[in-house]
Amino acid sequence: MELKINNVSFSYSSVPVLHDVSFDISGNELVSILGPNGVGKSTLIHCINKILAPTSGTVLIDGRDVSEIKLKELAKQIGYVPYSANDSFPLSVIDTVMIGRHPHSKWGSLDEDLDIVYETLRMLGISHLAMRAFNELSAGQHQKVMLARGLVQEPEILLLDEPTSNLDVRHQLDVTKMLKRLSREKGILIVMISHDINIAAKYSDKIILMHEGSVYAIGDPNQVITAENLRTVYGVTAEITKDDDAPHVILKDALPMDEELDGTAAKSPA
Amino acid sequence: MIPDAAQVKGEYASGNRRRVLWATCFVVLAAVLFLVTLGFGVYKISVIDAIGVFFDHLSGDISDPRSDEYVWNTRVPRAIGALIAGAGLSIAGVIMQNDFKNPLAEPYTMGISSGAFLGATLGIILNISVVPFVPVSSQVVANAYVFSLIPVALIAAVSKFRKLTPMSMILTGIAVMFLFSSITQILMVTAPSESLADAYSWRVGSLDRIRWDVVPPMLVSTVFFSAVLYMFAKRLNVMYVGDRSVRTLGENPMFIRIVTMVLASLLTAGIVSYTGTIGFIGLVGPHVARIFVGSNNRYLIPASAAFGAAFILLADTIAKVSGINGLPVGVISSMIGGPLFMWILIRQRRNVWA
Repeated sequence: MELKINNVSFSYSSVPVLHDVSFDISGNELVSILGPNGVGKSTLIHCINKILAPTSGTVLIDGRDVSEIKLKELAKQIGYVPYSANDSFPLSVIDTVMIGRHPHSKWGSLDEDLDIVYETLRMLGISHLAMRAFNELSAGQHQKVMLARGLVQEPEILLLDEPTSNLDVRHQLDVTKMLKRLSREKGILIVMISHDINIAAKYSDKIILMHEGSVYAIGDPNQVITAENLRTVYGVTAEITKDDDAPHVILKDALPMDEELDGTAAKSPA
Repeated sequence: MIPDAAQVKGEYASGNRRRVLWATCFVVLAAVLFLVTLGFGVYKISVIDAIGVFFDHLSGDISDPRSDEYVWNTRVPRAIGALIAGAGLSIAGVIMQNDFKNPLAEPYTMGISSGAFLGATLGIILNISVVPFVPVSSQVVANAYVFSLIPVALIAAVSKFRKLTPMSMILTGIAVMFLFSSITQILMVTAPSESLADAYSWRVGSLDRIRWDVVPPMLVSTVFFSAVLYMFAKRLNVMYVGDRSVRTLGENPMFIRIVTMVLASLLTAGIVSYTGTIGFIGLVGPHVARIFVGSNNRYLIPASAAFGAAFILLADTIAKVSGINGLPVGVISSMIGGPLFMWILIRQRRNVWA
């Protein structure tokens, strides 16, 4: 699966969010998108899976423009796990995850769908929650159920918006490691938005660092996670060490939040 | 303890069997109440005798023509009307609550009732028929039907050109409701007292007018639109995940919302045009059913329909024996529906809607 973003720009009415984003990723990899709040990470993902249409530019998967692919067909190719701290609906866990099978559903597929759902719950370590009400879960369980829903969709590209934001450290590590493993085992390209630089750096094959609505750097974690880049993009000073060949960031201080010094700081987040 | 696949599947299947069982209980309850209500009304006959008359008629062996006249020609169509109204309005309630992700949404949310009432009032008070070539006897029904569809037609038309959020759709419905209500108020202020009473009884909803002649159109409309809506059950489940995610699952949320909203309005119009605007059932039916079967629409829709039917049959039975000549069913359904609803909400441990 090849995902190619060509000069994508996006504006909410008159507020520009993305300017001329271009990159090209492919293969069975885990790719993390990093960047400060409001930089356009979620908007970029929404442009990929047609929740939003780019103001200009194109998104191609395996050379096909997504704007020409029907939603139904696209749903079999691209899965999506939204940022979902507050999502809530009155179904059991199993029925919630079953919704992810919708793009593939046909008459008489229930038993097969249940097998896929069970295997996925099992893999995520939440099969004991199958019959529980989705509303009654903890934030971490909730997030794993959403992840399960994205996985049962059996996409070739899986997009995740901060999949570990509500998890404790153990589960953050566990889920991120699992995403890396899944990219290999299931042969999918996994793109996730992350706020934890160290966990992303540790497990990602590639990092896309965004700054002011554009791609500031893309590549191997060691190339992208540098003190200078973090200073420009996040406005922090940091020391970078090595851990298991991956960069490890020790944050030192925040640069002064002076709008005079940084003319873009006042830009409203989308 | 990690359950194995067979165990999870078994529990899932038994959970669904339990839902089917609850729905079946509601169907049985509705069937029983259908027979019981035949024994109530102005004409004195015991429940057992009335049921006997009913089955005599079905078997073609009428032993008591006088009782048969009352039971078969008045009470049976009325009971069928109750069954249809309860089931249809409850289904419309489920659809509206799903479409707008709002537990307060009901069949009349989009201004359907105010439209129907304005149409009926035009017929009752001004003797106007908006549909040409309709006999005078049907002009109230025809007016109510046409007017009840105006608000939803308006919203569907606007959404063709402008992107309306579910919230702005509801607000548009409310705006139309106030506009229609004020026009109706003007008509009623100037109306003679006898047509005012007719208009009023129409407003609260009554099954008095349901005779055999209106049963076929009501039944055909309700069965048809309910069946079509049931075919959307799976897609309505997908709608639970929110509009953005719905798109990534291959469905267009606005399309599903508009189509099911229009179908639910047609379903509602086909009932309220004959009965008037019976209140509260569109909230009570779905919410009670939700407590027993959960929110999976494949079970929720039939369970709501069956509970709603039973509820209106009960309300109408009480309505028939209340007052000197009976009260409109709409009054009773709200009167028992309100406290029942509050009791359910207070007693309920978990939040089924969330």
